[in-house]
Amino acid sequence: MDEVIVEYIRRTVLKIPRDEIMAVLQKWGFLSEAQLQTINFRQTKEGISHSVAQLCEESSADLKQAALLDIIYNHIYPNKRVWSVYHMNKTGEETDFFDFRDFKKKFRRQIQSALINVTINFREYEDNAIWIRIAWGTPYTKPNQYKTSYVVYHSQTPYVFISASVLRSNLPLLCQAMVVASNYHDIHEMELRSHCLNSLKDIVFKRYSQNFQTNYPLQERNVLTENVDLRINDENRSEKERIYRLNQESFGNGPQPKLDFAQYKLETMFKSDPKWDVLEKKEPFRCLVKFSSPHLLESLKSLAPAGLADAPLSPLLTCIPQKARNYFKIREKKSLHPGSFVSP
Amino acid sequence: MAGGRPAGSAIEMEGAMRTLPSSGRPSGTGWQSRGPLFGRNYGLSPGSRLLPPRCQENADPQKMAFLLRKQWTLYSVSPLYKFSSADLKDYARMLGVFIAAEKQKGLAVDVDGELGIKVAMSGLPELRGSEQDPAAVLVQLSLRSSVSPKNSEEKLIWSGWFCCVAGDDLLENLPENFTCLPLFLVNGAESYTAIVGSWFQKTFDCCFRRLAISPLNLTWMAAMWTGCKVDKNTAATELLFSVPHLPQPLDISYAIHPEDAKALWDTVQKTPGEITQEEVDVFMECLYSHFHRHFKIHLSATKLVKVSTGIASAHCDGIIKFLQSQYLIGVLMLLTELAISQIQ
Repeated sequence: MDEVIVEYIRRTVLKIPRDEIMAVLQKWGFLSEAQLQTINFRQTKEGISHSVAQLCEESSADLKQAALLDIIYNHIYPNKRVWSVYHMNKTGEETDFFDFRDFKKKFRRQIQSALINVTINFREYEDNAIWIRIAWGTPYTKPNQYKTSYVVYHSQTPYVFISASVLRSNLPLLCQAMVVASNYHDIHEMELRSHCLNSLKDIVFKRYSQNFQTNYPLQERNVLTENVDLRINDENRSEKERIYRLNQESFGNGPQPKLDFAQYKLETMFKSDPKWDVLEKKEPFRCLVKFSSPHLLESLKSLAPAGLADAPLSPLLTCIPQKARNYFKIREKKSLHPGSFVSP
Repeated sequence: MAGGRPAGSAIEMEGAMRTLPSSGRPSGTGWQSRGPLFGRNYGLSPGSRLLPPRCQENADPQKMAFLLRKQWTLYSVSPLYKFSSADLKDYARMLGVFIAAEKQKGLAVDVDGELGIKVAMSGLPELRGSEQDPAAVLVQLSLRSSVSPKNSEEKLIWSGWFCCVAGDDLLENLPENFTCLPLFLVNGAESYTAIVGSWFQKTFDCCFRRLAISPLNLTWMAAMWTGCKVDKNTAATELLFSVPHLPQPLDISYAIHPEDAKALWDTVQKTPGEITQEEVDVFMECLYSHFHRHFKIHLSATKLVKVSTGIASAHCDGIIKFLQSQYLIGVLMLLTELAISQIQ
């Protein structure tokens, strides 16, 4: 078992960027400063990982220490995982005093009553965030430390951030344990997912810029003083200003929260120009549209100024931060306004 | 060096060789108007193509199953001088010697001392559009272990095949002693592609160039393949767009349910027996306008980079995947046409 743990630690070390290994190990705190000084950090990562493994073997690292290192790693590099946001509901308005020990006990008991072969570890951070690491086994096999789920919970809020492992079948059990341990009544997925955990927090905690100033001065104003025909210049400028203003109204003028994708399942009617004389269908036209970008909202924001989209951009896209979701199913609105959509 | 060519061709060949494995775009001399492209399809309206043929059962598509679901990188090849399909065994032996020599020079592939490369060449007579087309030629490189020659296991490491499906107009004007196999498809490491390519260049005085697929031709593929009848459940018609020149790159995937896409195409495609450029344009415009109705984004201003359907998928960099054996010939017909127009 010890070899397995040491190998797990070694592989965790291998995932860390070389220059940051020392800092992570210091945060971990399992190896003493004197031990860390013996490691030659100028060798290859492979070499460093073996040195760390050897020290851990000498100090008899156990599973708890290995799990803690993994939590620290995931806390520093949360973008390596995909996070989904869940929202929990209470029936009454009562606010309970949050007791971390009680929470841990209930959470553990709830999961272990259904599945004994699990490893559960907790770590509380200064920002009231509780990080939970769960390694799942089956009724007949030991927990697989390489297939973990992560839960990040801010005890003062109804939001839970879950990064499920490949073993998605355990997700209902995990959700149930969350509800029971935190004294809520139910939990549902918000259809908001991203690699960027902090941006998800920004969105659901409303920490992103929402000050929609409409009369913000146009930055390009000074640039546009060439001796071109003044009228064209004016038209250009007023069009640019219009786009800029509409963009500000849709997106605000601060930096956007970072999301990497948005997905729309369209089940709307196909309406074409009569001149084409095509497809008169009464059933919806089924499409799946995915937008992906290293920084989705910033790239959407730049579409209209680049002339690639109308201003204002579709509310289907601009509503993402306000609605706190990036997965949508769009149907035709059965109302008086043709051309408007609903997203149930 | 084979003779019978203008003196300039050897130099041109050398130059082309260096760029062979790179993903560089064709420099453009071969790509002209659509005129010569369609010249061979006598009786068709200008700017139109035949509906892709569906293979009959007697063509035994199963034989070609090994070509399916692999990524093939496309090259165009100028006609081969003094190539004879009767001599494939000799060619394989010569190519084997050439590869061994390159290996010794240390220029090429890093192969363990105990391993050798076995070259196999064979004809694929099934892969042609008519009796006039020369039979396709398959080249396969396998690694064999010389440690135990008795039960040596061979591992296929690289495949490439030359083919010509309905290359009529190039075949008609071909001088004596030349064989036209204008399309070369490769699956495997670029280092092998470079060696095999240089041997063919040396031996048959031909010239290879990467075959990129223009966005316009991708729209043809989207329309043609969407319209193909497939027996069982097929994949969506997926168009992948990339939006250039934004501060943050943006990719848009637009997947349309295969039944709905086909229903649309069937109402757009009205000319019997052929597809016109106008029909392809209307099909794309319909999809663009449906998209714009929802998102206010002009897809026509973005770049179409990839098309995937149940029949095949194609990337603008000149990478193709065949998914349906019964339409293999149909897809190769279009690719042959593109290859010919690049070398003309």
